[in-house]
Amino acid sequence: MNEKIGKALVVGAGISGIRSALDLAESGYRVILVDRAPHIGGILSRLDYQFPTDRCGMCKMLPMINRDSSSQYCLRKGLFHENIEILLSTEPVSVQGEAGHYRVALRKKPSLVSEELCIGCGECIKACPVEVPDSFNAGFTTRKAIYLPAPHRIPNTFVVDTDSCTMCGACEPVCPTGAIRLSERERRQFKILVVDDELIVRDSLKELLEDEGYSVDMAESGAAALERLSGQKYNLMLLDIKMPGMDGVTVLRKAKEEFPDLTVLMMTAYATVETAVEAMKIGAIDYLLKPFETDLLIPKIAGICNEFEIARARFVDVEAIVLCCGTGFFNPADGKDTCGYHTLPNVITGIEFERIVSGTGPCGGQLIRPSDGKRIEKIAWFQCVGSRDLQNNADFCSNICCMYAIKEALLAKSGTNGEAETVIFYMDMRTFGKSFQRYRDKAQGEYGVRFENARVHSVVPEDGTGNLLVRYVDTCGKIHEECFGMIVLATGQRPAQGTGELAGITGISLNAWGFAETAPFSLTETSRPGIVIGGSFSGQKDISESVIQASAAAACASRAILASGKGPIPESPPETVSPELLREPPRVLAVVCTCGKSILAYTDENKLSARLKTDPEVNHVIFSARICTADGWDELAGQIRKFKPNRLLIGACLPYMYGRKLKKAEKETGLNASLTEITDIRTPVIRFSGENPGENKAAVIIESHLRMGLVKLKQAEPSTAPSLPVTRNCLIIGGGIAGMTAALAIADSGIKVDLIEQSEHLGGNLKWITETLEGFSTLTLLNDTIQRIEKNPEIEVHKSSSVLASFGEAGHFMTTVENSKKKIRTIEHGAIILATGGKETEITAYGHGTSEAIVTQKEFEQRITARSLDPSTLSSVVMIQCAGTREEPKNYCSRICCAVSIKQALFLKKQNPEIAVYVLYRDMMTYGFTETFYTQARKAGVIFIRYTKDSKPEVMVSGPVPKVKCFEPTLGKDVEITADLVILAAGVVPELPAGLASAFGASCDTDGFFLEAESKWRPVDSIKEGVFACGLAHSPRTIAESVATAEAAAQRAIRILSRNRLPSGKVTAIVRHSLCSLCGQCIEACPYGARSLDTENEKILVNPAMCQGCGTCASVCPNKASVIEGFSTRQILEVIDAALCI
Amino acid sequence: MTITAKIDLREQNPLEALQQFFAGILKLEDIAAILVPQRLPTKNTVMPTLVTDASFLGCVDPLAPAFPMNAARIASRLTRKPMGGKAAAVLRPCEIRAFIELVKLKQARREDILLISVDCLGAFQNREYSKFAGQNGTESTLRFYKNVMGGNINEMEGAEFAVACKACEYPVSENADIQIGLYGMKTGESILVKSQTEAGDHILKQLNLPETNEPSARQAAINALISQRTGYRDDMFAKTREASDSLDKMTAYFSNCVNCYNCRVACPVCYCRECVFVTDVFNHDPYQYLQWATRKGIIKMPTDTLFYHITRLAHMSTACVGCGQCSNACPNDIPLAELFRTIAHKTQKIFEYEAGRSLDEKPPLSEFREDEFKEIVGID
Repeated sequence: MNEKIGKALVVGAGISGIRSALDLAESGYRVILVDRAPHIGGILSRLDYQFPTDRCGMCKMLPMINRDSSSQYCLRKGLFHENIEILLSTEPVSVQGEAGHYRVALRKKPSLVSEELCIGCGECIKACPVEVPDSFNAGFTTRKAIYLPAPHRIPNTFVVDTDSCTMCGACEPVCPTGAIRLSERERRQFKILVVDDELIVRDSLKELLEDEGYSVDMAESGAAALERLSGQKYNLMLLDIKMPGMDGVTVLRKAKEEFPDLTVLMMTAYATVETAVEAMKIGAIDYLLKPFETDLLIPKIAGICNEFEIARARFVDVEAIVLCCGTGFFNPADGKDTCGYHTLPNVITGIEFERIVSGTGPCGGQLIRPSDGKRIEKIAWFQCVGSRDLQNNADFCSNICCMYAIKEALLAKSGTNGEAETVIFYMDMRTFGKSFQRYRDKAQGEYGVRFENARVHSVVPEDGTGNLLVRYVDTCGKIHEECFGMIVLATGQRPAQGTGELAGITGISLNAWGFAETAPFSLTETSRPGIVIGGSFSGQKDISESVIQASAAAACASRAILASGKGPIPESPPETVSPELLREPPRVLAVVCTCGKSILAYTDENKLSARLKTDPEVNHVIFSARICTADGWDELAGQIRKFKPNRLLIGACLPYMYGRKLKKAEKETGLNASLTEITDIRTPVIRFSGENPGENKAAVIIESHLRMGLVKLKQAEPSTAPSLPVTRNCLIIGGGIAGMTAALAIADSGIKVDLIEQSEHLGGNLKWITETLEGFSTLTLLNDTIQRIEKNPEIEVHKSSSVLASFGEAGHFMTTVENSKKKIRTIEHGAIILATGGKETEITAYGHGTSEAIVTQKEFEQRITARSLDPSTLSSVVMIQCAGTREEPKNYCSRICCAVSIKQALFLKKQNPEIAVYVLYRDMMTYGFTETFYTQARKAGVIFIRYTKDSKPEVMVSGPVPKVKCFEPTLGKDVEITADLVILAAGVVPELPAGLASAFGASCDTDGFFLEAESKWRPVDSIKEGVFACGLAHSPRTIAESVATAEAAAQRAIRILSRNRLPSGKVTAIVRHSLCSLCGQCIEACPYGARSLDTENEKILVNPAMCQGCGTCASVCPNKASVIEGFSTRQILEVIDAALCI
Repeated sequence: MTITAKIDLREQNPLEALQQFFAGILKLEDIAAILVPQRLPTKNTVMPTLVTDASFLGCVDPLAPAFPMNAARIASRLTRKPMGGKAAAVLRPCEIRAFIELVKLKQARREDILLISVDCLGAFQNREYSKFAGQNGTESTLRFYKNVMGGNINEMEGAEFAVACKACEYPVSENADIQIGLYGMKTGESILVKSQTEAGDHILKQLNLPETNEPSARQAAINALISQRTGYRDDMFAKTREASDSLDKMTAYFSNCVNCYNCRVACPVCYCRECVFVTDVFNHDPYQYLQWATRKGIIKMPTDTLFYHITRLAHMSTACVGCGQCSNACPNDIPLAELFRTIAHKTQKIFEYEAGRSLDEKPPLSEFREDEFKEIVGID
């Protein structure tokens, strides 16, 4: 292993962990990705539909540049990346060292089933007598103690749930491949020798310890003990002190001389305690007092066993650790108000509802009640169950429940052709993300989801129907009763299981509610350098925020790696195939894996061999019992050396497993890996396994699959994958906090940055803010950041400058920039980050501009900073939220205004507790841990009055001070407030001119914010590769959130800029110019913008790094002038012919 | 603004009137040349000619029932790149529709061409036309004009309209810059000239023709014709479907195809530079033929005939304008036009597309609409 190569550990393989791991791997680092679950995907593997498209789309995270380094299929199935090692059922148990040099012990829970040998046949399930609720399906279904942990993973091998397994052993003999090894259970491997002269002590200990799962042997004397020790290795000896003949201490001394590593626990009656203490000086670790107390004995031995396991753990040295451990959920059954959960069968949680609508769930995706199979006609969602709940110590909002409740309501609608009645009971609908408000409006207006702003009072069962009667109180205090078929509880977030332990191991700090805490102005950095947070571990997040934060975490991790002196894996030269080799007539070696001879039940070895050999280019046909094992592979390498074929056909299973093996074999045997074809013959056989073995059909299928592979292999003409040079320089537009943060992150990777700022000063909006709601000084942040920018030799700042024009593609852009002196300069760069920022909306509503007493939040902030406003002179202040936003045309939440109002309200109350502060709001968007400040504000006496879009407050400016008229729902009448000051939350508008965005090939959404390639999975990328955005130009966000987008955008750019060349995939499109009529249909059809027309030379060009080999161009081209490498017309026609030929 | 004008005929001769009208256009400063069908004195047949000197317009004959080729291909050649001047092109409606398709496929440019269409009276198959025209082509054209306009289709001396024309529901071009109308006008007395675009307006304005109103009889005549043709067409669809609705029937349909590929050469929208069927992809190894023969005991030679036609259907049926040149070109009288129209009608209907209808409609395969074919893509 190259000592210079940086390595990171990513803990948790949910989407954040995968994103972080992929970002680091794509930047050239090695990654160890661990998860305690036996599958990757985290909670997402259980959810089929995601807002806003109500589809999945996880695969959109896969690498698009150098994509051959990774598997390119459904991430629920699995991930195979050449730089990522995935360890499942594995957890870190200790972390030692310091920033840049961490040594982590990883403990793997034995699966007890060999992944290499298990073929997924399921015989073991039939044999297993233990049936337990299936947690994957939220307990709606049951499974055996040996089971498939997720429905879609590849390879889908069985695992044993050691918690419920009785170790009866029934599964072991039925496994056709001998894959199950119950003896590998940790405690079975822990061997204990019990030494006592009394038979009854020996027997009772043996029985007790064997029940606990340990392997136990006995010796009746010291001499017998020493004899046993010399014959076998023991992990622990329980040694009696007082024995006839050789006494315990002597045995201990002799044993320790010979086996110094042996752990010995002395057993003694009260009389010989002193001797026992003496024995500890010789090397016994502890003593047990006879008669034994089971409650003391068992934990003591378990502790010793645990240490033994830790010692057996794998130690890895890494430079950075990314914690993406997710969150847990509140269990309503444990709360003060259970809402009937666990007592009424049709009260379920949000995640349980997701399983009901999932195609792999208990109802096959049908909207029926698992309890009685009845169709669900009317469903209620209860928001904030275990969130925003002081009684349950949850003074926080869980961020995502409002949106998933709307999504679930829409899923219920679409699953019933719109017939299901759906009601969401809520306090505030927190639609604070990009496009969320329109999604909610659509749910309400177009699909008829009902939103009840009400508190639920109680849930009681309706007699005999399974239905539920809900009593709730509306905003006017009126009590209603309504009957529902099902109730879905939006259960709040809780720290993930084991968060405390992990914090203990890693030394990171936790917040008041036990979630991981990050540094001020960062969502990723912890109190320990080099240990960073990704995703929901620091509080629940939706997918796009998790993905952004995971990329940001990767940026921080790679910074830590570089700081430790390590770097990325050197780029390897492209694989080539010599033209001479391609001109050689094919000499094919065909290898058929018989999968432990099971294939031979369907086909005859000799016949198959003879039939394949009728093709004159098949020189040899050999059969291997199990090619997937190390032995099988060695055997194959031997055959290759012996027969010297120039092309290799393998008939086996799981073709994607062979990538790495083939590259290794190429080194060993010289056989070019790209002249190999692997055909899956196992899957079609499984498909026919229900039929009579030996029946001709399966044999025919096997042969035709092999023939298909054969003709494809014979026609293969792999060419060298092209690559494009990279200009290792990044252009960043905008010198606010986002642009500066991105610049620093990139410059710290040793990449040059040109930072363009249109004004004379860096800083953007931070120039007029002094402090955040949490009390962090933004001034310090600004000054520190500017200082770091100015000191960094890699960053060139262009102030008073603007972009005139740009062209180019990922890896190489040319942009002309003009400064205030009209001097024009062309900058060459490989990537671009748009950090052009945003500003407070200019507003004329609510009398703004007509009175000095009506100001915006920004104006208030500026007056306070300039000390031109004295709070002690004020007696009444009215704040109006959503002034001009969350309705068309600006139908989006600006996300920060509620927090700003709370900050300003608390400030005013602190300065002058006598001020009456009224906040007129539609929904308070104090999401996440900001909620606690909302609570503080209410405690401080700030009065919150809800208004609706249809009954907005009115500001009247006739007298000396303005008056605000609004409807007070609790009183049920209009009130008039005289206000010394009216503060308007005008919201955020982006400052991303559409012309600027389009100059770089990016586009803007309807509100003028940057349009992402995919709002959830590629949240800072534009459709055009190499163009990224962050900060307020991307979407309204807080400073810390802007910083996270900046780090994420930087990381996405570093992926490209850390390379000298951008490699393309092997499967890319090429153009046969002699056939091309230049009709340009392929250019329009290409979903990746990889094609262009070179008007000068009249040729269609393909950017090989951007081309993803999808084949759309080839199918749209009527003349086969567009061809996908490896799928030539001739190859495909012959494959079809082979498929039909028998 | 649309300009509608009338040209009165002298001695009931529309050809002379057309000749003078075209000469007028050619004399305009902004028109450098005119592409127009003329009777070639050398062989007494009608072919497209490119004329720059008005004195060479003496044999103009766009009304003859001769359709030797779809001149959209010629127009495409003339406009693929800037020509150095603007040309007027006198084309049949189906030629204009094919031209529009070629513009969309970037094989032609709309900028440098003024499209003029004459109401299409229909045409015969090539061989039939030679017989019909006899020695005096011009005289035969005038006779043909009178007969068609008078509804005396039977008096065609045994010649019969090509099937494609009989099934054609586009006798009048909606996309030409200038439309020359025959239907609904008094036979032998006058013809109509109408601009349909700004470019057309611009030309007609300069010609100062006496303006008139479009007679109401015109639309009625066109509608009656279309409805009659549509009836024929649907009947043809039914018959063709019956003759081709299984693999066996399709094989039989093309059994006498000799892979001459004339149909693809004649097809105006088959725009590939070199057809994949003449490349190495179909130059099979000798052993392959033996393998196929061994498998079945017998194979018809040449192979790939059905495959060729199905491929052409797959590629071209969204752009097929139904001009019938494929049938015209077939040496073995395979009813290609019938099959192509039948399939193309259905394909275009599926995509809500009509070949040649509008430049604003993208070719169906170059556009992805998330909301279409839900039953196929499985996305709601």
